[in-house]
Amino acid sequence: MMVSNLSSLLATTTQGAPANFWLPKQASTVAQSVDYTFDVITWICYFFFFAITFFLIFFMIKYRRKGHAVVAKGPTHNTPIEIAWTILPLILVVVIFVVGMRGYLNLREAPEGCYEVQVTAQRWSWTFDHPKYGATQVAELTVPVGKPVRLLMTSNDVLHSVWIPDFRVKMDVVPGRYTSLWFEATAVGDYNLNCAEYCGMDHSKMFAIVHVVPQEDFEPMMVKLASEYEDMSIGQLPAYAINRIYNRCQSCHSLDGTSGTGPSFKGLWNRVKSGDVGFTSGEKLSNLLGENTQYGEPENYIRTSLVDPLEHIVKGYLGAMPSFQGQLKDKQITAIIEMFKHLDEITDEAGNITVNPDGTPRN
Amino acid sequence: MAYFTADKSKPPVTDNYLNHTSGIRSWLFTLDHKRIGVMYLICILTAFLMGGIFAMLIRFQLLTPDGTILTQNQYNKVFTAHGAIMVFLVIIPAVPAALGNFVLPIMLGAKDVAFPKLNLFSWWLWVFGFFFFLLALAGGVDTGWTFYTPYSLDQTTGMSGIIPVLIGAFILGFSSIFTGMNFIVTIHRLRPPGMTWFRMPLFLWATYATAIIQVLATPVIGITLLLLIVERTVGIGIFDPAMGGDPVLYQHFFWFYSHPAVYIMILPAMGVVSELISVHSHRHIFGYKFIAYSSIAIAMFGFLVWGHHMFTSGQSDLMNVIFSLITFSVSIPSAVKVFNWLATLYKGSISLNAPMIYGLSFIFIFTIGGLTGLYHATLATSIHLHDSYFVVAHFHYVMMGSAIIGFLGGIHHWWPKMTGKMYNEVLGRIAAVLIFVGFNITFFTQFMLGSKGMPRRYATYSEMPEFQIYHIISTIGSTVMAVGFVLCAFYLLHSIFYGRKAPGNPWGGRSLEWQCASPPPWDNFAEQPTVGDCYDFSVLEWDEEEQGYHWRSDVKHPGE
Repeated sequence: MMVSNLSSLLATTTQGAPANFWLPKQASTVAQSVDYTFDVITWICYFFFFAITFFLIFFMIKYRRKGHAVVAKGPTHNTPIEIAWTILPLILVVVIFVVGMRGYLNLREAPEGCYEVQVTAQRWSWTFDHPKYGATQVAELTVPVGKPVRLLMTSNDVLHSVWIPDFRVKMDVVPGRYTSLWFEATAVGDYNLNCAEYCGMDHSKMFAIVHVVPQEDFEPMMVKLASEYEDMSIGQLPAYAINRIYNRCQSCHSLDGTSGTGPSFKGLWNRVKSGDVGFTSGEKLSNLLGENTQYGEPENYIRTSLVDPLEHIVKGYLGAMPSFQGQLKDKQITAIIEMFKHLDEITDEAGNITVNPDGTPRN
Repeated sequence: MAYFTADKSKPPVTDNYLNHTSGIRSWLFTLDHKRIGVMYLICILTAFLMGGIFAMLIRFQLLTPDGTILTQNQYNKVFTAHGAIMVFLVIIPAVPAALGNFVLPIMLGAKDVAFPKLNLFSWWLWVFGFFFFLLALAGGVDTGWTFYTPYSLDQTTGMSGIIPVLIGAFILGFSSIFTGMNFIVTIHRLRPPGMTWFRMPLFLWATYATAIIQVLATPVIGITLLLLIVERTVGIGIFDPAMGGDPVLYQHFFWFYSHPAVYIMILPAMGVVSELISVHSHRHIFGYKFIAYSSIAIAMFGFLVWGHHMFTSGQSDLMNVIFSLITFSVSIPSAVKVFNWLATLYKGSISLNAPMIYGLSFIFIFTIGGLTGLYHATLATSIHLHDSYFVVAHFHYVMMGSAIIGFLGGIHHWWPKMTGKMYNEVLGRIAAVLIFVGFNITFFTQFMLGSKGMPRRYATYSEMPEFQIYHIISTIGSTVMAVGFVLCAFYLLHSIFYGRKAPGNPWGGRSLEWQCASPPPWDNFAEQPTVGDCYDFSVLEWDEEEQGYHWRSDVKHPGE
């Protein structure tokens, strides 16, 4: 009976339920079967919880001790009853197991023809590559509504875990191997994606937003995303970088001058240009700039910081920066350097970003 | 048979284990199981205070979405310290090492455990383990108490506390193994005449089942931590994928111990509760054999379910299905125990004194803790709830609400026996109710937090400000609980100096520890007693003058 309930639920409802006392809103096709399992268990729990609490309180009141005489006399055992209350829970848990297993297989078996996204986790940011369009997103993932999406995931450093609560899906992201999960979003909107496996200092900031967009909008958005910086003039690059690339830096590098895991970006270009940067090795950047030195131009130092960050670690920091070798195209590195040079024009005093990716002012 | 009766013609016994010898050395190098139990109790409660302070820091940090008092780094160190201290230093040794050491030999009518020197060594190992934990705190560890790889192998974060904490946990493991070995041999070899296996107090069954897990499972965590130390110091690739290792293998090794360890924590507390419920309702325990067998069943099934910690780790779907099925098996003996305790209350004579409030709290809280375990055994829901506050709430209901409250109940139950003093009963009841209410406010809200999408181990939740109200309620609850603990500490300490002298048997207990004086003499019993049914309370009667129970003059002692 329960199983037929499950399939009828799946067949009849496509729009997810809103948030309730226990669960957030449903926004994927599997959310309904997960919540159905949740509800089955919850009702069984309610029954046992209220029955046990009722008898507990009832006995406490009815058999409350009066005086000190030892009067209590009752049965010491009753084998049929005890066997009954061993068997009954056994039957119930088998039912729960079956419902849960069916829901799980549903959750794990990706349908044919999924749209594939490659996910790379790296302390403390998410990178989403769309191989079909050659587009890359950081800290945000755009997917079409009503189409199954499969995430193929790996980590560059430690364990992470993708959790999208409104979709009821979660999967660990493990270095040295691929894991996957799939979902089909049922409603257009923005949904939280959290890191659920502890990964060190900024674990709680390892956050991304899943944008679920109408199917007809999806392809144009991806095409635009894939190529937008290639056609940009140098002058347009700062606005692009601060919106599209900085997401990846923000958990460690602030825009308002406060120190994080890494130095703030505020005023960084002036410090670099003048060579006013000390390293843990005791070296000063000013000695590495100019004719016949390691870097020559200050831009080369920034480039090296991105592709080989442990070459020189800024004094006072741990050297937790991962390498972005191969992840950033040359033009994107240029964009980052341009972003540093024009940071005053694209952020305000408090470190808020003031422009949109296309350069228009943000309100 | 002087050990049973309150012989009013004789002057009260003055020689007891507390005043038999004196001086600090007579305690630190004692072979007496009672003194070792008391030393464990003092040490464990000290560690509990530390762990509790860290818990309050966590709760106050989470009052606002951006955090209040701690940086990300500090928060990570604090929750790691809270977890590691509470698990390794407090909950695992709490009931077996502190209460078990004190009570177990007396319950058997024995003079001591089978290997008193090994017992002292266990305590010293605990102290060394504690010392290494202090070193780790000074150096800082932020891996979480699970030390998951490869993060725990990461050299770049500059945390120097990781090696000391691993060594500390390794040493504490041996402390636990030796206690377990000692109890197994003691129960096998030192039972008194008349005490067959099925006449043992249920606390002994629970301790026995626990000891089996301690001896069989703990070596696995020992070798795992050792491998981790070797990998981190020498660089042999075992768990780090960068060196060809497998991080999920570490999780298997870790949980192969740490899931059974959950039963090391809960089983002895269940044993305490079986005693509390029966003694304080003066009712023969209902379904003795079912309770005894269920302890063994939990210990055995507990070894087969570790894989449910890896449902989202990339373990194969088939493994997940199998582990899910086996995990449900643990729920059956747990449910049986709850039903049997309830049935014990039926037609009882229920005294709502402090130990019994803890006993009844345990049933209520363990019911919630056990039932919410179903969500985690079930695959479809477990995926969503894994690593969320729902899990945090669930295991606090079991490890704190059940194991610690069982421990507190045991402390209150045996306090008169240990110290020879009665604590203030009214304050005792108030503290017990405060802890019960505070606990439920703190952790029930966390179920909603988790199922709605709050991940665990988050120093901030800036992107999810809608969760703030739950965190505020939770923090209020933890404050109520803290007040209860402070009150509890106050009247217990007060009773040592100003408490009324405790009678031999203040509650009307029937097992052997209630038949020797409070506090017990140095060697417990002058001659080995014979025992009958330790849950038949009809042989006892109240003595107004003594303010305690003693053997009815018209009933013969067993063996007479």
